[in-house]
Amino acid sequence: MLKSKTFLKKTRAGGVMKIVREHYLRDDIGCGAPGCAACGGAHEGPALEPQPQDPASSLCPQPHYLLPDTNVLLHQIVSAWRPGTWASVASSLRLPGSLETYVEQEQGENANDRNDRAIRVAAKWYNEHLKKMSADNQLQVIFITNDRKNKEKAIEEGIPAFTCEEYVKSLTANPELIDRLACLSEEGNEIESGKIIFSEHLPLSKLQQGIKSGTYLQGTFRASRENYLEATVWIHGDNEENKEIILQGLKHLNRAIHEDIVAVELLPKSQWVAPSSVVLHDEGQNEEDVEKEEERERMLKTAVSEKMLKPTGRVVGIIKRNWRPYCGMLSKSDIKESRRHLFTPADKRIPRIRIETRQASTLEGRRIIVAIDGWPRNSRYPNGHFVRNLGDVGEKETETEVLLLEHDVPHQPFSQAVLSFLPKMPWSITEKDMKNREDLRHLCICSVDPPGCTDIDDALHCRELENGNLEVGVHIADVSHFIRPGNALDQESARRGTTVYLCEKRIDMVPELLSSNLCSLKCDVDRLAFSCIWEMNHNAEILKTKFTKSVINSKASLTYAEAQLRIDSANMNDDITTSLRGLNKLAKILKKRRIEKGALTLSSPEVRFHMDSETHDPIDLQTKELRETNSMVEEFMLLANISVAKKIHEEFSEHALLRKHPAPPPSNYEILVKAARSRNLEIKTDTAKSLAESLDRAESPTFPYLNTLLRILATRCMMQAVYFCSGMDNDFHHYGLASPIYTHFTSPIRRYADVIVHRLLAVAIGADCTYPELTDKHKLADICKNLNFRHKMAQYAQRASVAFHTQLFFKSKGIVSEEAYILFVRKNAIVVLIPKYGLEGTVFFEEKDKPNPQLIYDDEIPSLKIEDTVFHVFDKVKVKIMLDSSNLQHQKIRMSLVEPQIPGISIPTDTSNMDLNGPKKKKMKLGK
Amino acid sequence: MASVALSEAEKVYIVHGVQEDLRVDGRGCEDYRCVEVETDVVSNTSGSARVKLGHTDILVGVKAEMGTPKLEKPNEGYLEFFVDCSASATPEFEGRGGDDLGTEIANTLYRIFNNKSSVDLKTLCISPREHCWVLYVDVLLLECGGNLFDAISIAVKAALFNTRIPRVRVLEDEEGSKDIELSDDPYDCIRLSVENVPCIVTLCKIGCRHVVDATLQEEACSLASLLVSVTSKGVVTCMRKVGKGSLDPESIFEMMETGKRVGKVLHASLQSVLHKEESLGPKRQKVGFLG
Repeated sequence: MLKSKTFLKKTRAGGVMKIVREHYLRDDIGCGAPGCAACGGAHEGPALEPQPQDPASSLCPQPHYLLPDTNVLLHQIVSAWRPGTWASVASSLRLPGSLETYVEQEQGENANDRNDRAIRVAAKWYNEHLKKMSADNQLQVIFITNDRKNKEKAIEEGIPAFTCEEYVKSLTANPELIDRLACLSEEGNEIESGKIIFSEHLPLSKLQQGIKSGTYLQGTFRASRENYLEATVWIHGDNEENKEIILQGLKHLNRAIHEDIVAVELLPKSQWVAPSSVVLHDEGQNEEDVEKEEERERMLKTAVSEKMLKPTGRVVGIIKRNWRPYCGMLSKSDIKESRRHLFTPADKRIPRIRIETRQASTLEGRRIIVAIDGWPRNSRYPNGHFVRNLGDVGEKETETEVLLLEHDVPHQPFSQAVLSFLPKMPWSITEKDMKNREDLRHLCICSVDPPGCTDIDDALHCRELENGNLEVGVHIADVSHFIRPGNALDQESARRGTTVYLCEKRIDMVPELLSSNLCSLKCDVDRLAFSCIWEMNHNAEILKTKFTKSVINSKASLTYAEAQLRIDSANMNDDITTSLRGLNKLAKILKKRRIEKGALTLSSPEVRFHMDSETHDPIDLQTKELRETNSMVEEFMLLANISVAKKIHEEFSEHALLRKHPAPPPSNYEILVKAARSRNLEIKTDTAKSLAESLDRAESPTFPYLNTLLRILATRCMMQAVYFCSGMDNDFHHYGLASPIYTHFTSPIRRYADVIVHRLLAVAIGADCTYPELTDKHKLADICKNLNFRHKMAQYAQRASVAFHTQLFFKSKGIVSEEAYILFVRKNAIVVLIPKYGLEGTVFFEEKDKPNPQLIYDDEIPSLKIEDTVFHVFDKVKVKIMLDSSNLQHQKIRMSLVEPQIPGISIPTDTSNMDLNGPKKKKMKLGK
Repeated sequence: MASVALSEAEKVYIVHGVQEDLRVDGRGCEDYRCVEVETDVVSNTSGSARVKLGHTDILVGVKAEMGTPKLEKPNEGYLEFFVDCSASATPEFEGRGGDDLGTEIANTLYRIFNNKSSVDLKTLCISPREHCWVLYVDVLLLECGGNLFDAISIAVKAALFNTRIPRVRVLEDEEGSKDIELSDDPYDCIRLSVENVPCIVTLCKIGCRHVVDATLQEEACSLASLLVSVTSKGVVTCMRKVGKGSLDPESIFEMMETGKRVGKVLHASLQSVLHKEESLGPKRQKVGFLG
């Protein structure tokens, strides 16, 4: 049935427009209850449970469905979204039989009233409908609303209605659910001290006006990690001055939370401040602390020179909240029996959140998730509610979950919708698949990977041609054959962006069926591949390049060590081994040529944990060993990536997905140059080539580890490599690899960028068809943005995972003393690297309750003189490593100096462990 | 204007008939043909009406848009008329053929509304000198069957009666910049009072008598006619002679009197039809070609 819907709209120019839309009412939406004859064929979409599980509500004992109103659903989605208790809610989201339940706005009724009435009509319809369905099985629909008037009207109309709170309280089986209710009740706020702390946020319309006229500035709020009373706002847009505005003091922060989009007003120049260097953590428990707060704020305003002053402002309104559920721990209230507690998020940039719970004692010492509901003007802390219990602090699963959540790594199991796009098993290659594909099954292809690798995405071959030249092929899993553009599987992989490797866990980008089976180029099975085949002469010069989709059958899956063994053992002369030897020979030439061009060989201390097979606890650490075969595979992957990058850029100059690595600004190298100079070595940084060469020359016969240290330092000077769309940028250079153009092609199983590159290449060679999004450079730029973000987050998560396992390792190991090298010298500390564990840590020399030692810091050399001992970069020291668990939320490795001995600072070497656990450790805690 | 070719005998027949107060279609000299009025026919206008008078078919849409008041009348809104002679009415209107007639009708409409009493233009003012409502009255001529002016004036009145102007409020912030806020209730709107909106009664001089609501054939027999715009109270707001013949003062006076008399009756019946339709509410089943 057709209805027209008319409404008025204000246009941007200030006029008023009458808009008429045609409205087609459907008559084919069923009620969703299975077995309903009246709605016979109209059963599509989610269905209601046939027999709603009895949630044991004392208010309505018979089985029932729930029909929440929009507000309840929006605010209580967290509590509703828990399987088992409110499951019926999710499926009753739809309003069926729209013909009968359509409601038109009446005179004197505003839009909200109309919506309320529509829901009531639907509830009534449902009740009558279900009654018709079966007489003996009396199912009821219960209407849940928090609007008093709406509830009254519903009861008047004969619909069973309750408020959310009433209903949840009546659920005798799930008493803990009440904690999850977002606190909206007004009474809740009245208990708060009536004192208004914050000024009001301006309404959005005023903010927009102000931003347009330039009185306010719009930007992203970034809270400081070190100081809870300070934040910066990154102003959007590209005006050069006032890019970054400092906010200081609770009142000026005005309830903004990290990552919110806010509007700020600049303060007059006389009130500008300099960023303070004080570290302040919020420890207050009560509202009364507000006065103390002001005192602290004064503390920030230490005397500073004119020049240090930065534009300062205050938040006048919030344009968009960017709240998410936060991980953290409960700080139980001092008052016994209190239900209101403060929650301390793991992220120091998030303020503490007040929550109400009856289960404080069970939640203590556990990692929990809390969501923010709001922040009233008279409250020192935002109000929130408990969402989920992750588990005990220190438990491996809990901590892994926390670090995944905190780094925004999507790690839920793949949804049914995503899995539905997987190929049906048993899968085999069909005639259709063979179209546009070359059969390379006869070639002697093998893969070389680290041990235990299940997602093999590359394989290689090399053979001599009749004309004496060599044919080298790199075969990459044809993931884009399985992930078709635009479907749920594609969207999910695009969202995940990358596979995240944690110490003992892998978060796949694509479902396991693909990553470990169909796309994994395992040996002795036919697999679809995307091949890049070169014809080379024995000098590793490329004569011909060919890209083709193919079918391969890998003859062997080797580890780096196995491959190395085959190459080295003289008595093995089978096809695979000759192929490997040929590859190895070419790789050496390629590498040499690449280094000549100025590619950097950098170093970072990479460690691997030996896991206990039973407990999965780390029992030993080992730095990764590099073999010739590692670099052999790497060399050919680089070559394939570069060849593909050239090809897709040639074909799609405007929308090729490439990867660039910008050259770092010269100032980045300062620290490296200075550090080398202190050892009488010269590092040139004007070009990548001179840097590479000077790094090669920087050797010290007495100090073999020095070169590695320099390379580690050089790595720290580099910029992030990023994905970008060729049409949006004009600097393609990859600094680290010294290649004018580069992309990622070789790991489509674990990187989404490669999937896009595969698609581009497939279109370029005519093996696949294109689709609109592929040639939209703005869409591509958006994809790049997400990929860069995900890669960064994956890296952080990985580091956090290593850090956590290092902690576990030292927890079991107790306290150890190890040799270490100084990497950086700071004003009050030194950063050291322990080569044995690839572990980096900071040794502090200032402690709160101790008389500060005399510290003289020289920025030029750089060096730090403590009493009589001078520390330079790369000095060898001995440190004691132990686990500091004084702060349960942020356990960390603590290091203290053993050698050289400085009285009052270093720890005597011969103290027994017992002693250290006692009073000494306490001191460590305080020395934060 | 659309015309029909009549033979001399036909003309004589018509003239003689009028002499006897009996017209070709059986009406008396002061009788209108049956008028069909339907309002609210075009959903994306602020007000609309369709009027059928014999074969004459008129569609009028009123669109309210925000504009700035005219300098000489800072606290009034205003009306704009535009008449489109569709080529579906008669092939003569094709291309720019209907432009002259359209302009003529529009000018007549401007003239009959050019007085303080017909529409209260002050209600159309939002904020003096800055914002006012401009009512664009668009007339679409779908079919010509004689007596265009009367049919158009009836349709305009019906459309104005049907017009609903959204209610807006002017908000002023501390800096003095004004912002217009729109009420979110679609039923919250201004209605115009159409009590004093005049209707045109055209009197055609045929022989020595005059008729109202002449058909095309009758118009062909007439050399001169008089347009009288009359309000519901019988006040004449405007008068115009059309046609190439001349009229003597005595018959002009007679025609005015007839016009006033017929006009009052016309207004009364139009008003009752409009109110009756209004009382049916929004659930009324729409009829006619746009229904």
